Amino acid sequence: MSQETKIEMGAKNVPVRVDLRVLARVGAKPGLIDYLISLWNYRHFMVYDARARVQSGNKRDRLGSAWLLLDPLLNGIGYFLIFGLLLGASRGVENFIGFLILGVFLFQMSSRAVVSGARVIPSNRNVIQAFNFPRATLTVAVNIRELLANIPVIIMMLLMILVIAPAEEITWRWLLLGPAVGLQFIFNLGAGLLLAPLVAKINDVVHVVSFAMRFWMFASCVMFPIDRYNSVPVIKAIVEANPLYLVLDIVRSSVLYAQTPGWQSWAGLAAWALGTLMVGMLIFWKGEESYGRDD
Amino acid sequence: MAETTDLLLPQTPAVVIDRASMTYTVNSDEKRSSPGSALGRVMRKISGRESTVKINALKELSLVAYQGEAIGVIGLNGSGKSTLMNLICGKIQPTTGAIYASSTPIMLGVSAALVPDLSGAHNVILGCLAMGLTKAQIADRHEAIMELAGLGSSINLPMRSYSAGMASRLRFAIAAAIDPEILIIDEALNTGDDEFRGRTKQRMDQLREQAGCVFLVSHSLKTIQDLCTRVIWIDKGDLLFDGDTETALGWYRKYTKELAGGDRFAAAKIRRRMQNTLDTVSIEPLQPGRRRSVRA
Repeated sequence: MSQETKIEMGAKNVPVRVDLRVLARVGAKPGLIDYLISLWNYRHFMVYDARARVQSGNKRDRLGSAWLLLDPLLNGIGYFLIFGLLLGASRGVENFIGFLILGVFLFQMSSRAVVSGARVIPSNRNVIQAFNFPRATLTVAVNIRELLANIPVIIMMLLMILVIAPAEEITWRWLLLGPAVGLQFIFNLGAGLLLAPLVAKINDVVHVVSFAMRFWMFASCVMFPIDRYNSVPVIKAIVEANPLYLVLDIVRSSVLYAQTPGWQSWAGLAAWALGTLMVGMLIFWKGEESYGRDD
Repeated sequence: MAETTDLLLPQTPAVVIDRASMTYTVNSDEKRSSPGSALGRVMRKISGRESTVKINALKELSLVAYQGEAIGVIGLNGSGKSTLMNLICGKIQPTTGAIYASSTPIMLGVSAALVPDLSGAHNVILGCLAMGLTKAQIADRHEAIMELAGLGSSINLPMRSYSAGMASRLRFAIAAAIDPEILIIDEALNTGDDEFRGRTKQRMDQLREQAGCVFLVSHSLKTIQDLCTRVIWIDKGDLLFDGDTETALGWYRKYTKELAGGDRFAAAKIRRRMQNTLDTVSIEPLQPGRRRSVRA
């Protein structure tokens, strides 16, 4: 019913003058800079959320947090038995078991982080509807959680590389694992921020993302060397520009082959990581007001 | 309400609703003769979305709530009360229009578990952090929250093992941990057992006295009569009344009595009468340079 009809029927229209400048629009997103500052102010929330969920993640299991170590151990043993003892496969790669373990574990870190980062809005709807806080904190928290949960995985991974023959020597280059995983973390975070608004709008994207991650695995040379693509230079070039391939390449050459990775790899990975983070943050911030909605 | 609210009145607005409306688009199971091409029908079959329905949960409405007011919100189930409250606290954004507030309104309501896999104690800290409390503030209030929730040793169990009542107690205790300036109370809380009800009532009264502006959603007209200085009546998404408590409750009682008696015609007549006599409010943003007068 429009206001005009009501006035005709005898009711009054009462104009109320209000100074809207002393008020703020409810639920309005702040400017980008303010948004980033408020993210920093919520750092305790993010860290607490991440830690609590890592600790409780295996609560339903009898062995509890031991699975954080057992899971990668069993995985690694599985690969060793199948590829090392049973098939004796080397695919022309020096220390193939080490190559495979590094590839699978590091790729799984990214794939889990990106998928759960993308699903962060639907899986946290309760918290989103209950409280007002910058929603990007949830994506950051998910990534911190994955990073924390992966510390035992990385330790187990290095132990296995040392134990399973041919054993590798420890050089100073093992320290390069730190910055490589750091850049990988930033890339995962950016990808999560980029995908989350899309998933919040169209839930079907989740299926596409998990399918794309499987496809991505082949494009990152997780299980075979890049020489396989020699016959198709275009694909090889694409694979070489792929951020996850860069991570694997950097870590494999420093940990397995005692070679210092070239600056090109570092520069490429850093560009990917920071670029994705910036674009992701911008897109996530733009959709900030829409995440509380029910479907 | 005065003819034209004078600029010099010492009333400070707390919440301003400017022509806000809300339309939901939801999937419906209702079969209908699908219009459009065969392809469109096949697509709808595949996607499982037989038909989508637009629900006009709240039609365009404007109102101004001032500091110091306690506003009761009444209406039948499904009339749009909760939608209006969700809009005010910023949980959802209106389809059209906007809502302004002098500070972030906080809703005390009941909702499901926060993070089901975490224990109650973890959820308390997480919720407090999400409301922007610092660690020191949380440490200060931790005792009070635990006491208000009154869950005993169950506080260390994962929240998924809680009964609906326990979860809502915890949820209330967390939300009540801060002293908001604008408070929205959803009386669905009244489902708790008597022991808890007594305790929440105490805390709610405390918060209500401290808060500058309170919205109270309730089906208990007695509560509204006791506590509210102003009443908003919403029916099927329409604002029917906005004004003093006695008049509102009088008409509302008559309306529900007619409905209960099965006399739809008489009820519709009351509804029409309310709509026709309602004074509509239009928000006029103050011109720049005259700021001083409202702040006074």
